Amino acid sequence: MHLKYESFVREPLITGDKTYAQVTEDICKPIEQKPSKLWYVGFVLSLLFLGFGVFSVFWEVYWGLGTWGINRTVGWGWDITNFVWWVGIGHAGTLISAILLLFRQGWRTGVNRAAEAMTIFAVMCAGQFPIFHMGRVWNAFYVLPLPNTRGPLWPNFNSALLWDVFAISTYFTVSLLFWYSGLVPDFATIRDRAKTKLRKRLYGLASFGWTGTAKNWQRFEALSLVLAGLSTPLVLSVHTIVSFDFATSVIPGWHATIFPPYFVAGAVFSGFAMVQTLLILVRKIYKMEDYITLGHIEAMNKVIVLTGSIVGVAYLTELFMAWYSQVHFEQEAFKYRVFGPYWWAYWAMMTCNVVSPQFFWFKKLRRNIVFTFILSIVVNIGMWFERFVIIVTTLANDFLPSSWTYYSPTWPELGFYLGTFGLFFTCFFLFSKYFPVIAIAEIKFTLKVSGDKYKRDMQRLDAMTTEEFLEEANHAH
Amino acid sequence: MMTERFTVPAKLKTTGFALLIIGLLTLIAGGITLLGSANEIDHSRFWVSLLHNSVFFLFICVASIFIQAAASLAQGGWILAYKRIPEAIGANVWIFGIIALAVLFAIVFGAADHNGHNPIYHWTHPGDDKILQGKSAFLNPGMFVGFSVVAVVLWSWFGIKFRQRSIAQETAPKNSTKIYWGVIALSGAFLFVYALTMMSTIPWFWIMSIDAHWFSTLFSWYVFASAFVSGISLILLWVIYLKGKNALKLVTKEHIHDLGKFMFAFSIFWTYLWFSQFMLIWYGNIPEETTYFKIRMQGPYSFFFYANIIINLVLPIFILMSRPSKRNYFTLVFIAFMIIFGHWIDFYMMINPSPMQENWFLNWFELGVPFFFVGILILAVSNTLSKASLITENHPLLKETLVHIS
Repeated sequence: MHLKYESFVREPLITGDKTYAQVTEDICKPIEQKPSKLWYVGFVLSLLFLGFGVFSVFWEVYWGLGTWGINRTVGWGWDITNFVWWVGIGHAGTLISAILLLFRQGWRTGVNRAAEAMTIFAVMCAGQFPIFHMGRVWNAFYVLPLPNTRGPLWPNFNSALLWDVFAISTYFTVSLLFWYSGLVPDFATIRDRAKTKLRKRLYGLASFGWTGTAKNWQRFEALSLVLAGLSTPLVLSVHTIVSFDFATSVIPGWHATIFPPYFVAGAVFSGFAMVQTLLILVRKIYKMEDYITLGHIEAMNKVIVLTGSIVGVAYLTELFMAWYSQVHFEQEAFKYRVFGPYWWAYWAMMTCNVVSPQFFWFKKLRRNIVFTFILSIVVNIGMWFERFVIIVTTLANDFLPSSWTYYSPTWPELGFYLGTFGLFFTCFFLFSKYFPVIAIAEIKFTLKVSGDKYKRDMQRLDAMTTEEFLEEANHAH
Repeated sequence: MMTERFTVPAKLKTTGFALLIIGLLTLIAGGITLLGSANEIDHSRFWVSLLHNSVFFLFICVASIFIQAAASLAQGGWILAYKRIPEAIGANVWIFGIIALAVLFAIVFGAADHNGHNPIYHWTHPGDDKILQGKSAFLNPGMFVGFSVVAVVLWSWFGIKFRQRSIAQETAPKNSTKIYWGVIALSGAFLFVYALTMMSTIPWFWIMSIDAHWFSTLFSWYVFASAFVSGISLILLWVIYLKGKNALKLVTKEHIHDLGKFMFAFSIFWTYLWFSQFMLIWYGNIPEETTYFKIRMQGPYSFFFYANIIINLVLPIFILMSRPSKRNYFTLVFIAFMIIFGHWIDFYMMINPSPMQENWFLNWFELGVPFFFVGILILAVSNTLSKASLITENHPLLKETLVHIS
């Protein structure tokens, strides 16, 4: 059956009567032009944040961990909160590129490139936190199980923290490969259009001599499928193992069997929110409204309401089980979460993560760009609070009331966090200038099925009876 | 207008009745010998087996409603070639719901040992057990009945409603999308109900409370995964059965392949949840949590404990990994039966160990009772299937399913 057909109930995913040539033209334009003033402003601002972050980290490494607000009771503060937050954000990219590829979701082609870039930058940001939390950062390589001259000093293979090292480094590698392999044909496109020698040379190198032969494409497709198959279990494993960092302990509030799936759902939730934040800006700045349509935004909002509700069920389950377990310490831990000194964090989490996404049950709001943009930021604030609640409020009231304490971050911790925003956006600005923000080759796969021009021609098929349609489908060659 | 009628083959009817009668005879024989026995463990054996089967078959049928809701919300066109099958299963949820409610209430209100304690749901008589007293605001007969009845009524209603709306689409104006969007809204409502019943409270009440002291936050999601993968296998068995009778002419290998993928993926998903629950409890090693696995893993049930993993993870992974096996009717039927049996064992492992302790049985009674449910399933679903066309004519996504490539 070789009939290109998509039902009339689905809205077109590429508008503006595009042809293949027009798609290439539109997506390559920002790369071939000088960046706008807005781009420079944003880029310099990101660099400033990054600079402040570097300074903050330098300060911490030079003077020691004592410059942070963490203490003997609250040993994990903003650092691990930020780590989990950034890793979680990374998940949406892989979900879009891998899982939605396996599910044959055409709309992913409009957003996957930027989402995958976001994944890579987010994981880069995340990685900084545990590394610099080590204090003596020059010993960071101790986490690697290398044959060494340190005698019997090996990492503890029973520790979830070590599994994290493996999970995240593997995840980063595979995500990078996936992203890059998708970029190869697009780099070749830019190379072929290049007007300057340097550009031709550099994009030529980056595209590995891609010529676009049938064999090239065949290998490309096979590789995509293999990498998608690898990434799918990987993306689940990463946040599962992050949840193990907490759940393998016996600390009330951390030791919960629901943690693995609920962390994964939460990660996808926050990741999609971040994709929304970025793409709403990208489509506006680069005028990509024809490729990142309201349909895309609505589809992602549906994922947000679904994952937000899963997270909501998990929060309520945890709260209920703390009472139901009749374990005194569990009950106390949750009492302190909800009504204790950090009550504001708990309620911020509940409001932002459980209540606010429920607005997306309404189609009008799912398709409202301003509302979506605001809500995507609200969700990310909420997901930051989730990690803060899990980490800090649990640790602050430990088993020994005499050691209870209240934790607040100091300026180097704050600076470190802002610095990762600097890193993230510096990378993202560079990406959006030098790389095609939409996968040129991949979006063309969907053009003849979902492009508005082609969808109009399908009205003939929609008008047919089922028998006529079946007849035509079986004889179309 | 394209229609396809299914008349129930006499052989299927006979098989259904035969299984029903075997099951019924087992139940009667069990009622006489086990309930009449002087040994109290025999009474428990009778009720536990009924509980196990009624809950299992209800849950795997409810999974058919869930898959319809999920496919509607995701606007999936792939399911339409055989959507009448989950619809027919979902529309019969009420039968299994009534049976389950009867069994559950009989146990909660009827079962008692010589001390007047409930041998299955200990929480009905907390006595001076501090933990059970503490839980009694939730674990009490009133709450149990309330949640159970509301859940079963809502599931049954949605099951029937989804099928009605789907059939109404056939006679709606051509390419009308009114019902289509209506069903999407209905699916959203169902998901909400499902989250508050199947994904949380109902497995706590019906299954987890059998180990009345034990708790696990993941438990209901785990039960869902087990029921869902079995539910998909059940749909697949019907699809292939009908295909074998030269019905379901719109279904191609592409559609069958999709179901194979689902069985593969959700077997892994089930394992993921199994592992999450088991590993965290094992690693934490807190007595009030490990008690659950103590008897299952190291006690008299250890054989089933490992069989559970082999049947539900190892076999599906290796058999369904390759593409050709997901397109081969024989392999799929074999693995679907394996998965349903495997998860039946999984439910056995959730329900049996606490009341039966080391006195476990998997004998004539335990193996005979499921036939009662299978018999009902065959008769009810085939009868429902014969009442409407097998083709979801005029569905806005139907044409997509005709050119579907898995």
